[in-house]
Amino acid sequence: MEAKTAKTKAGEWRKYERVLLPPIKDLHRIDVYEANGGYKALKDAIKGEKWTPTAVTDEVKASGLRGRGGASFGCGLKWSFMPKPDGGPRYLCCNGDESEPGTFKDRQLMEYNPHLVFEGIMIACYAMSISTCYLYVRGEYADWIDQMETELAKAYAKGYVGKNILGSDFSCELIIHKGAGAYICGEETSLMESLEGKRAYPRIKPPFPAQYGVFGRPTTINNVETLACVPLILERGASWYAGLGAAKHPGPVLYGISGHVNRPGVYEYPTGMLITDLIEEVARGVRGGKKVKAVVPGGSSTPPLRADMIDGVTMDVESLREAGSMMGTAGMLVMDEDTDMVSWLRRVTHFYHHESCGQCTPCREGTGWLEDIVSRIERGEGRVRDLDLLADLCSQMEGRTVCALADAAAWPVRYTIDRFRDEFVARCRPSHVAVPALPESELEEAET
Amino acid sequence: MPKVRIDNETYEFEGRPKLLQFCLDIGVELPHFCYHPSMSVPANCRQCLVRVGTPARDRGTGEMQVDEAGNPVIQYFPKLQTSCSLEITDGMVVETHRSSEEVAGAQKDNLEFLLINHPLDCPICDQAGHCPLQIQAYKYGPEGSRFEFDKVHKPKHIRLGPRVVLDGERCINCTRCTRYTSEVSGSHQLTIIERGVRNYPMTPPGTEFDEPYSMNVIDICPVGALTSADFRFKARIWEMSKTPSITVANAKGSNCYYWVKDNLVMKVTPRQNMDVNEYWLADEDRLDYERFNKDRPAGPMINGSAAGWDAAYGEAARLLSSVDPSEVLFIGSPFATVEDNYLLTKLADSLGSPAPQYIRHVEIGKGDDWLITDEKAPNHQGCERLGMSEIDAEIAAARIQTGEIKLVYVLEEDPVVAGVLSASDMDAVKVILHPYNVTNETLHGANVVLPAATIVETVGTFVNIDGHAQRVRPAKAIRGVNRTLVMEMGESRADRHGTPFDRWHNETNLVDCQPGWVSLPEVAERLDIEMAYKGPRQVMEEVAGTVDAFQGATYEAMGLEGVRLMEIGAAV
Ligand SMILES: Cc1cc2nc3c(=O)[nH]c(=O)nc-3n(C[C@H](O)[C@H](O)[C@H](O)COP(=O)(O)O)c2cc1C
Ligand code: SF4
Ligand code: SF4
Ligand code: FES
Repeated sequence: MEAKTAKTKAGEWRKYERVLLPPIKDLHRIDVYEANGGYKALKDAIKGEKWTPTAVTDEVKASGLRGRGGASFGCGLKWSFMPKPDGGPRYLCCNGDESEPGTFKDRQLMEYNPHLVFEGIMIACYAMSISTCYLYVRGEYADWIDQMETELAKAYAKGYVGKNILGSDFSCELIIHKGAGAYICGEETSLMESLEGKRAYPRIKPPFPAQYGVFGRPTTINNVETLACVPLILERGASWYAGLGAAKHPGPVLYGISGHVNRPGVYEYPTGMLITDLIEEVARGVRGGKKVKAVVPGGSSTPPLRADMIDGVTMDVESLREAGSMMGTAGMLVMDEDTDMVSWLRRVTHFYHHESCGQCTPCREGTGWLEDIVSRIERGEGRVRDLDLLADLCSQMEGRTVCALADAAAWPVRYTIDRFRDEFVARCRPSHVAVPALPESELEEAET
Repeated sequence: MPKVRIDNETYEFEGRPKLLQFCLDIGVELPHFCYHPSMSVPANCRQCLVRVGTPARDRGTGEMQVDEAGNPVIQYFPKLQTSCSLEITDGMVVETHRSSEEVAGAQKDNLEFLLINHPLDCPICDQAGHCPLQIQAYKYGPEGSRFEFDKVHKPKHIRLGPRVVLDGERCINCTRCTRYTSEVSGSHQLTIIERGVRNYPMTPPGTEFDEPYSMNVIDICPVGALTSADFRFKARIWEMSKTPSITVANAKGSNCYYWVKDNLVMKVTPRQNMDVNEYWLADEDRLDYERFNKDRPAGPMINGSAAGWDAAYGEAARLLSSVDPSEVLFIGSPFATVEDNYLLTKLADSLGSPAPQYIRHVEIGKGDDWLITDEKAPNHQGCERLGMSEIDAEIAAARIQTGEIKLVYVLEEDPVVAGVLSASDMDAVKVILHPYNVTNETLHGANVVLPAATIVETVGTFVNIDGHAQRVRPAKAIRGVNRTLVMEMGESRADRHGTPFDRWHNETNLVDCQPGWVSLPEVAERLDIEMAYKGPRQVMEEVAGTVDAFQGATYEAMGLEGVRLMEIGAAV
């Protein structure tokens, strides 16, 4: 198959051994986690001579770790934005709100390897001299929240979290906070407002969280998966991490594959996997032997790629940008040849309409209008000119709002129509209706 | 000094101003909705977008890059910026809708969005005519709409509290009202509920929006979503004339506009004065206007029967000369102007009577540390500064009962209610009264009634609790011709002679009353006392020139915002 001959940056991925979600039974239990080398990185960091806070940050920088929450921002660089400690409180927020459609990978970590997340959090706090972390988890993950609470209590009891961690003078609290069912709470500034007990309206930036975050204090926000990588980086070294997968976007990634594939699920592989490998081999191909029609690589807001656009494309920032999409959360949605793209887009516009916080005008009004128009097209009542209107509305929303939800709502509309235009045109009535010629008899009458 | 270029004009600036406020200050209009100078900047309406660039600097050296012609190279932000939240920096270059099509287009786009779910019921909306959304949509918005769907429906005419009514559909979700309750009044009584396009402000379950400053949200709401339960549908904005003045429900002297139609005060709104009330009014100030419209006297009276002004003045003079000056008790008024109280003092002095005293109106605990004072009369400071002392009701009542006092001369005031006079005394003692309203209980027994012009019908000065001297101006006409009042009304009304819909010159609702600076000299003249002033302006000039506690308080100096007088202690 073509996919197998194409160049992959993921190297010998078929022999890859999982590190984020290793196949160890009951790893979520602290004793099992410890027995498998857990909390060793934290011990080294806090106790060893080698790891000053700056050294930890430098190591993370050197690893090339990029955020897994969607924007793929350099993690070490983000940490270095924190101002010097001034004696006042500073915060880390671990973002487990995971609500972008097609994204369900943080849940795996919280369910199967929560201590890796806790350990990552503690190391990050150590590196940034932070003494409080909020782990903000979407409320729907109630079962995993309960389980994490139980495990966290054990981590507290064993001195991995809390006062004087492992007998050192580093203390750090970890608080698990339940969201209440709003996608927008995953947006970092909205998350902070929500933590403060306020309505989760995103804040304008500047000031950035590192200057003015939760309760007005310096704050860093990282995704669950991002922080889970941190203990691994310390344990195995930045060069190990940097050498894994795509050079400019390295490391292990949890690919959440869903849609019309035979084996949907969360798969851990290095970055830089060929999309075709992920579909054909990892997810065991498209259901019923059908052809792929479209792939949304990283959550519903990332532009969909047509089947003819995915050959040779790998899952990393660089390759996906060239292909015309984004890495996002690596939550990959595969759609087969029978998929109605109009219907799919209608469902996506509905989501963003429903989830817009309503704070700013273009997003509040635009998201609903997009859904109205796409729904009309789906019903067969749209007109071809609606497609131009949709493009116009996207331009009126993109880059003009407080947070990126409006962009996230506009991109799928713009690119789905762009890339599947024929399908949309076929559903629309023509904008111009030809005037039928008068019958001969009437013409003659008119002349006389 | 650092400079900023806006639409190809260079301006100097100081400090760290935000771009929108700076533009407004220099007279460059930028459309906006959510921004309010007294509150935090959420930049949520997205209307104030502009294109902004800053001088490019060399990454290594930090030096400004220049082009071949030696001009700094400008690097534009890739996205349009909200001017309300953007801090100006030296060398910044700004393009507004006046010089950039992109900006004009973006502003138009935003207004298109704002209007798609707006009910566009301007024909029945109280805000129409002074609605920022309406005005800015006409100025900067698109023609027509491309929206062809059902608008979102939200709850309408919801009573948020006793005084404020919400129309959820008109709301554009600027959060000014909720920010007001959390940042300005501090009541936290409003929050936005629901999300997305279903957003609107609401009170927490089981609570009411009943704070004493609730009605301010009506003015700051940039659309007609928040309306006054009191004023709803009473008048259109263009039917009313608007006069800058002050409120008199307490001693704060909050600056306001009186909105008048056909010589009836329809509503009271705040007028900005950063030294007194900033942008705000207490609800009690706004709702304190019915007494200007209702229960007004029908004209002068002598012993309970209607009389002409001339006869009434004559009778007042006759009564005054019929008793020994020492037997007259003059009662000044903290409801009346400094000018009128001064003339009363002068009258007493010329007759050789003891100086007037005044009745204090204090309701302990009613005030707060903002715009509501315990003091319920607007001008006790003016009385004090004129050297009047507070009356001791018990002593005064005793002196009346013993016959020591034979005549009581009262500016607007109610000595019966104050306990100075009892109904039974009224046969023995003569009473001359200048009342505002027929609800005045002293009126029934008064021998001479000389109806007085209220604060909305006169010209004069009030001194607030902090010693701020401010002018009042006639907002409505009185019966009879008074050149001073007519001139003042024409000059001071924000809309000059009023709107054509305000029939202020018709007889309807004109009250037959006179300002004290007309009636007091009339009485004095009949007693051969010299009191010839050209009008209140001249009276105040004399006061400012002769009474230390009023130094500098001329009409010119007071203007629209008043002057701060010296502390009483320091002056006297
Ligand atoms: C509308 C919106 C929703 C978001 N939801 C999430 C989320 O559920 N989880 C998440 O980790 N990041 C989410 N993000 C991204 C965060 O704002 C932030 O960039 C991220 O948590 C930073 O972590 P990272 O640097 O480790 O990726 C969202 C962003 C937007 C604009
Ligand atoms: S872009 Fe949308 S979600 Fe983000 S702040 Fe504005 S209205 Fe809220
Ligand atoms: S009711 Fe008025 S002030 Fe309040 S959010 Fe809506 S538009 Fe803004
Ligand atoms: S005034 Fe609303 S965004 Fe600037």
